[in-house]
Amino acid sequence: MSDRIQNEPTIDSEAGNSAEPTRRKFLKHTGLTAMGAYAGLAIPFGENLAAFAQGMDESDIMGTKEGLTLLGDRPLNAETPAHLLDDDITPYKHFFIRNNGGIPGTALDMNAEGWTLTIDGEVDTPLELSLADLQENFEVVTRRLVLECGGNGRAYFNPGASGNQWTTGAVGCADWTGVRLSDVLNAAGVKDSAVYTGHYGNDPHLSGDPEKVAISRGVPIEKAMEPDAIIAWEMNGEPVPAVHGFPLRLIVPGYPGSASQKFLTRISVRDQEHDGAKMTGYSYRLPAYPVAPGTEVPEEDMVVMTDMPVKSLITFPQSGTQASVGEATEVRGHAWAGSGDIASVDVSIDFGATWTAAQLEPAMNKFAWQRFRADLTLPQAGYYEVWARATDMNGVAQPPVVPGWNPRGYGNNMQHRIAMIAT
Amino acid sequence: MTKLKFIACASLCAGAALVAVSAMAQQPFDPMRPAPNPLAPTLSAPQSGTTEIATDPELGDLPIGVGAEDTYYQCIACHSTAIIRQQRLTDARWDYLWDWMITEQGMYEPDDETKAIVLEYLKTHFSSER
Repeated sequence: MSDRIQNEPTIDSEAGNSAEPTRRKFLKHTGLTAMGAYAGLAIPFGENLAAFAQGMDESDIMGTKEGLTLLGDRPLNAETPAHLLDDDITPYKHFFIRNNGGIPGTALDMNAEGWTLTIDGEVDTPLELSLADLQENFEVVTRRLVLECGGNGRAYFNPGASGNQWTTGAVGCADWTGVRLSDVLNAAGVKDSAVYTGHYGNDPHLSGDPEKVAISRGVPIEKAMEPDAIIAWEMNGEPVPAVHGFPLRLIVPGYPGSASQKFLTRISVRDQEHDGAKMTGYSYRLPAYPVAPGTEVPEEDMVVMTDMPVKSLITFPQSGTQASVGEATEVRGHAWAGSGDIASVDVSIDFGATWTAAQLEPAMNKFAWQRFRADLTLPQAGYYEVWARATDMNGVAQPPVVPGWNPRGYGNNMQHRIAMIAT
Repeated sequence: MTKLKFIACASLCAGAALVAVSAMAQQPFDPMRPAPNPLAPTLSAPQSGTTEIATDPELGDLPIGVGAEDTYYQCIACHSTAIIRQQRLTDARWDYLWDWMITEQGMYEPDDETKAIVLEYLKTHFSSER
């Protein structure tokens, strides 16, 4: 927190050419400082307040999060340590951040005035919908949905793969409120020629070139028409926070998070696989066939990544925790899969030599993560690792090693492990 | 003005060594440390975090060396050095990324000499091959 404040320049410059950021800083500082002065106190949760405050700077965002590991400041990317993901519903403060571009001023200002969502392309009736149109003309639903970056686990590939070196924490599960994507597409009337969606937001490209698109991905029309994908304006009962896509974002569960466009302005229905920014080349693509680590795969042999693999995370206790010899200790976490529900989770305290079935709770809804619990007793003093292995409804389980190497390091669902010390 | 990171580290490491003696019994190994999976059939292990390298805080904490300054000014037009410092790539991937950043991401294309210096720097310091 103090870092954030120190990093901010004082509000003294007349700042000729940076009127926008200066104004934002001024608004925020005056707001919080004035409130503090009024109460005669520091504001204990001033940072949390700022998550929903108007007039933030991008550099203010990390101050509204707690315990995240910053991978990059421009673009802003941060992941969550496993033990901070123990909640059934990931709170804002612990939800990971993945940005391909900048955070638009509309989001930083929490200003949705005049916001519209355009539905066009291979539809009978192109639509331009205001937020009120969406809220009033379609059934409003709340779904608990996992969002996970396609590159979660990239740090474990060898040779390394380019991009942010996520370990295990580019995942979260929140309650998202909005309308079904399929309802909106049906209202526009999807033509038989529809093959794919193309999603657009108003986040600025890192180069600052207004002609460039930071990211524009899409999904096969069949995936878009499933009832699980939603256009959301609330996260955990609050307006979608600035860094997570205010005022409107897609949530397409089961797919890499990049399919869930933030700052959503337009969905164009395509008659071919979408070719927007980061749909082509090596972005969010896997080799069409298994390759040896380090292979240079020709671009034409790369295919778009679809379902995220089955996965689990041990969220309690924190890795390195001590436990008493001979006494049962609860170990718990979450499991999820791009294919839908989880069939079982097993845990091991002997490096996978033997496995014990964990208790598994049902999913709140499809694509919510599922809680698993196991009482483990460590037989003698010393070092143990607890490993977790989830299996999906197709009988597909997590591998003990890093799965198929690929040039950009996607889809690593190796079993999660924590250390436990028996004393 | 060369405040090098290794100076700060020297004192920090000395302090850490004292703590480590008493805490050794409880010092947990991290089974998920971002390094190669010990079970994976891999060849060479990148030694992440084992050797401290002198970095330049005025160049976004890039490792000090030939090409650091050119690399800094070439890259920070679009992104901070944080994303560079995370990488350990093959030479071929660096060559690909250079072209991708120019053709797809609007990176300014410098003269051939600068290109050679920057790529050599990246392949030296952020490599899975050396």
